Amino acid sequence: MNLPISADLLRNPEDRRRFLEKCAKVAFGLSVLPAFARLASAAEQKSAVKAPNAGLAGFGKAKHVIFLQLNGGMSHIDTFDPKTGPSKGPGEIVSAKGDMQLTSFLPETAKVSDKITVIRSMTAKVGVHASAAYLMRTGFEQRGSVQHPTLGAWAQHFLGSSHKTLPSSVAVNRSSNHGNGWFPAAYSPLPILNPDDGLLDTKSPVSEAVVGKRAALLAQLDAGFGGKAADENVKAYNEFYETTFQLMKSTDLKAFDLSAEPAATRARYGKGKFGQGCLLARRLVENGVRFVEVAHGGWDMHATLDDRMEDVGGDFDRVFATLIQDLEAKGLLESTLVVVATEFGRKPSFEGGGRGHHPLVFSTVLAGGGVRRGYVHGASDAKGYAPAADGVSPGSLHATIAHAAGLPVQTEIMTPAGRPMEIGNRAKPQIGVFS
Amino acid sequence: MTLFSRLVLVSCFVWAPWADAADKKTAKKAEAVIKAAPVATRPVAAIADRSAIWHTWTDKEGRKVEAQFCGLSGEFITIQTRDGRTFHFKTDILVPEDVVFAKQCLDRSRTNSFSREIIASAAADVDKLVVATLAANQQTLNAPATDEEFLRRLYLDAVGRIPTAKEADAFLTSAAPDKRAKLIDELVFSPGYSMQMFNWMADLLRVKDTFGKGIPAFTFEDWLKARLAANTPWDKMVFEMVTADGRLCDNGATGFMLFDAEMPLDGVSNLMTTFLGTNMACAQCHDHPLADWTQKDFYQMAAFFGATDGKDEGVLREINRVAKADSAVNKASVRKIAEMNAFRLNDGGKQSLTLPKDYKYKDGKPGDPVAPSLIAWSKADKSLPAYNVSTKNPAQLRDEFARWLTSAQNPRFATNIANRVWKKAFGLGVIEPVNDIDDLTQASSPELLAHLTFVMKAAKFDLREVQRVIYNSKTYQASASPTPDLGKAKYLFNGPIVRRLTAEQAWDSLVVTAVGTYADNVLLRRGDDIKVMALPAGKVTMAEVRNAIDRTKKAFAGSGKAGGKKASGGSTMGLANGYEGDKPVSRFSLLLARASELPQPSAETHFLRLWGQGDRLLADSATNDGSVPQVLQMMNGAVGRLVSDTRAEAVMAAEAVKTPEAQVRSLYLSFLARRPTPTELTAAKASLEGGLALTDLAWVLANTREFLFIR
Repeated sequence: MNLPISADLLRNPEDRRRFLEKCAKVAFGLSVLPAFARLASAAEQKSAVKAPNAGLAGFGKAKHVIFLQLNGGMSHIDTFDPKTGPSKGPGEIVSAKGDMQLTSFLPETAKVSDKITVIRSMTAKVGVHASAAYLMRTGFEQRGSVQHPTLGAWAQHFLGSSHKTLPSSVAVNRSSNHGNGWFPAAYSPLPILNPDDGLLDTKSPVSEAVVGKRAALLAQLDAGFGGKAADENVKAYNEFYETTFQLMKSTDLKAFDLSAEPAATRARYGKGKFGQGCLLARRLVENGVRFVEVAHGGWDMHATLDDRMEDVGGDFDRVFATLIQDLEAKGLLESTLVVVATEFGRKPSFEGGGRGHHPLVFSTVLAGGGVRRGYVHGASDAKGYAPAADGVSPGSLHATIAHAAGLPVQTEIMTPAGRPMEIGNRAKPQIGVFS
Repeated sequence: MTLFSRLVLVSCFVWAPWADAADKKTAKKAEAVIKAAPVATRPVAAIADRSAIWHTWTDKEGRKVEAQFCGLSGEFITIQTRDGRTFHFKTDILVPEDVVFAKQCLDRSRTNSFSREIIASAAADVDKLVVATLAANQQTLNAPATDEEFLRRLYLDAVGRIPTAKEADAFLTSAAPDKRAKLIDELVFSPGYSMQMFNWMADLLRVKDTFGKGIPAFTFEDWLKARLAANTPWDKMVFEMVTADGRLCDNGATGFMLFDAEMPLDGVSNLMTTFLGTNMACAQCHDHPLADWTQKDFYQMAAFFGATDGKDEGVLREINRVAKADSAVNKASVRKIAEMNAFRLNDGGKQSLTLPKDYKYKDGKPGDPVAPSLIAWSKADKSLPAYNVSTKNPAQLRDEFARWLTSAQNPRFATNIANRVWKKAFGLGVIEPVNDIDDLTQASSPELLAHLTFVMKAAKFDLREVQRVIYNSKTYQASASPTPDLGKAKYLFNGPIVRRLTAEQAWDSLVVTAVGTYADNVLLRRGDDIKVMALPAGKVTMAEVRNAIDRTKKAFAGSGKAGGKKASGGSTMGLANGYEGDKPVSRFSLLLARASELPQPSAETHFLRLWGQGDRLLADSATNDGSVPQVLQMMNGAVGRLVSDTRAEAVMAAEAVKTPEAQVRSLYLSFLARRPTPTELTAAKASLEGGLALTDLAWVLANTREFLFIR
C-alpha cells in the first residue's frame, strides 16, 4: 500500500490519528475507531479537555489522588481476598461491612469496607520487585529505553499545575525516582523522605535582609550563564530556584508541617512513617496538592508471614482505616481517590512460613473519588491462583485512576523521542468501579 | 590498631605471607626485570605483564610479604598477594628502597601508555570523522572552548571535582603551548581519576554496601578501587568479575555476580545490559516485542550460568546446626556469620536450567532442558572465532561465556564500553540509550561509533588511554551545545552538551571548596573488616563460629564514631575503622570525604542521593533531575552552610588576599574556575561594600546555575 502522506504527519499525534483513520478507511472502507469517534464527540460536549472518556461514569470526580504503595507484594489471600481450603492463611475469614469478606488481619479496614472498592482480579506477569513496582507505579512494563511517568506527571501534562506554589505531585517515604518520565524534570514529584521532618531546610540560617541581598546578587551574577540559557535543563533549574524562593515566602509551607495537626489526630494515625505519611498526604491534598504517593515497606513475606501480617499488616490496617475515616469526616473523600497498590500478590501455597511472589492474580483497593462503596470488582479462582475471568492489568488500573482524575485515556501523546504513548499503555479504564 | 598490623592480622588469618628471612635477591631480580623491560610504544602492556613480577616487600619493622605491585596513588600503594588478596596502605610504613621500587613500578606503568604524539593523532582521527559527519549535514564544530571552560570541564570529567583556586590559577596563567595536553596527563594519573572512575562504575556495576538481606559487600568496593588504582583494562576486569569464584568475604570480585544470587535470571539480563548494551529483560518472560530476541535466546544465554550457584546451603545449614547446640550465643550474630560464609560463587558439575512453566512458543516445551548457546546480532557473527566455545564441561561454562563476552571480537563488548565512555565526556552516547544498543544503525553516527570501537580495541580496553584520546580531541575541546532535542534531529557532536554535574561531581566540588584537596587523600577501605567474618575453609565448628563473631565485634567496634554520624549516609558500619591515612573532616554533620569514600550509596537524605546518586538496585540508576528540596538544601541546609562557612577553604583563600577585587577574583576561581567579567566584578564589589560578607558571596556563587552545570 502506497499512501500519499508525508512523513511529517507521523510526528504530530493529531495528524497521526488522521493518518491512521485514513489508513483504516483505505484498508477496510470504514474507520476502525468507532468507539473512539463516539467518545470523542461526548468529550467535546462535556469537557474542555478533549477526553474520549469524558462522558463516562466517574470522570473527573477525583480532584486528588493518594496512591499508597505496599512494597514487597501484599498477599491478597491474607488480606482482601480470603480463601478457604489449602490456600487459606493464618488469618480467619471475617464478614466485613459493605457485604465483603476480609481476613482477620484487617479488623479496622472491615469497619470502613462499606466505603471501598476491592479489585480482586488484578493480573500481571512480572514477579521481580523492582520491575513489578515500576509497572504498578507507572502502568508500563519497565524498558531499558524509556522512562515512563507517574500519573501525577500525566495529570500535570493534561491539567497543568494543581497549585500556584505547592508542587502538583509529592512522593512520601520514597524518592521521586524519575517520576516525571519523559515529561519535564519539573513534573517530578517532590520527595519527602521523612514525614515528621516535612520539607527540610525551608528557613535560611541568615537574616531576612541578608537573604534578600544574596538573592539580588545571585540574580545579577547568574545573568550570564543562567539568564540567557538556551539549555532546557538550565531553564528547569531556573524554575526550581524561582519556585523555591516563592515557596520560602509563602504560608502554603505549613501544608508540610505535621506539627500543626492536633496531637489526637497525629496519634490516631500512629507514630510510624506510614501513618504520619498518610496524615501528611491528607494535609497536602487538603491544601491543593493533586497527587501524593505514600510508600509502606515490609510486605515481602517469604517467612514468618503470620507475625509479619500482625505487624506490617496491622500497621497498614489501622492507618488505612484512619485515612478513610478522616477524609470522610473532612468531606474530602468524594474528591479524593485513595488507591492501595502493591507490586504483586503472593502464592496460594506456603513455602516455609511464608509465600512466594505471585503476579498472576492479586488485589488492589480504591476508595473515594467517585468509586463505588462496598463493592468487589472481579474475582480470583477458588485457590487465589488466577483471575476467575478477565483480569485487570496494572495499565487498566492506571487508566481507571486517570479516568477518575479527569484525564483523557486512550489518547495518544508523542514523547520527545517521538514514540506514541497512552496512559496505562493503551489499556481501558474499569468503568464498572464507578458509581 | 595500625593499618600495617591489620594487614598482617588479616593475611595470617587464612594464609601467612610474611616470611622470616629477607629475600633481597628476589627484590633485586624483580627490579632488574622492570628496568630491563622495553619501553612500550603500544598502549598499556596488559596487566599480566606487570603482574608477572613478584616482589618481596619489607616494612620498617623488617616484616616481609611477597606480592605484586598494583598501583600507587598519591601516598598509597596497592599490592596483591599470591592468593589474590589486595592490600592498600600508606607507603611510609615501607623501607625506603621499596618506596623507590613502587615509584619505579608506577613510572613503568606510565611509560606503557601511549605517547602524546600517538594520542594526538588518534584524537585527530576522531575529529576528522566528526567534522566530516557534521559537514555532510551542513554543520560545523562549535567554536573552541576557552581555557576557562576547558579547565573546569576537564577537572570534573577527569578527576570528578572542580579545581581549587590555586590549581585554576596555575593553568590559566600558564603560557605553555601544550598546557591542555599536559593537564590531561597530569589529571588522569592523579588519585582523583580513580575516585571519579569509581563513581562512574559504581552506578554501572551497582556497587552497594549491602547485598540481599544486609550482607556487607565492602570487599567488592575494595576490589574495584584496587583495580582502578592499577588501571586494569576493562576486559580483564569484566572477565574477573564474571568468572570469579569463592566467598564474597575472600574475593571481592564475586560481588558483581553475587548481587543477583537470589535471582540468577535477572542477573543474566543485567549482565547483558551492563556489558553488551543488549536489552534482553523483556525476553526473560516473552519474546521481545521490539527487538529480535526470543525467550529461547534468553534461556540459552542463561544456560551458561545454569551450573553456577550463589549460595552454599550446606555451610548455612552446618553453621546453624552447630550454633543450635549453643544456647548462649547471639542468634543474630550467628545468622550474620552464616550468611556471609554461605555467600559464594561455585560451579557445579551439572547445568540444570529448564524452560519456564509458562513457556508458550513452538520451539520448546515447559520444563525442557536448555542447551547453552550464544546470541548473535548478525548471521556473520557466529563464524567469528570468539563464538568457538565449548559447552561440554558444565563447570567451565561461565569461563567459556566470559571469554566470548570480553573478546575484542564480541560484536558489542567494545562498542558498549566505548559508547559509555564517550557519553561520560560528552553527556550523550553516540547511540542512545546506552543500555540498548542492539541496533547499531540507530547511532547518530554509525561511523563514529565504529571508530570509537576501534580506538577501544586498539587501546586494549585501557579506559584511561581512551579518555586521553577523547580529552585531547578538538570535539571535546569545543564549546558546549545546549541539550539537543533528539526527537527533532540526531545530535552529531558539534561539541559536548551542557550537563548538570552528577551528584558525585557536585558533592566532590563542594567538598573541595570546603577543605581543598585534603579530601583527595581520605580513603575508605572496609573490606578487611568483613574478611574477619570468614571461617577457615571447610571448618565449621562452634569454636570457629565464636571466633568469627569475636573478630567481627572487634573489627566493627567504634563504628559510627569518628564522624560516622547518621547524616553522613546509609550504613556507617565499619566507617570509623575504614579510613586509611587521613581521617575526614566533619562539619555540619557532613562527613567531608569524596563520594567514592562514603557509604555506597549514601542515605536517601544525603546531598548525594537528593542530587541523583542512584539507589544502585538497577544499573544506570543515577539521575540528574532537579527538585525543590535540592535547592532548599543548597540555599538553607547543611550544604549551604558548608560553602558559606568561615572555615571553608575557598573563603579562607579569599580572606588571605587584600583588595576586594582580588577577593572576588579568588572566589570566582574557587567556585567557577574563571575570572569575573568587569560587570560581575563591579556587582560583587558593590555588594561587599553594601553589607555582604565573603561568605555570602561564596554562597551566591555556589547557588549559580553556572556552578551546577558543566559547559
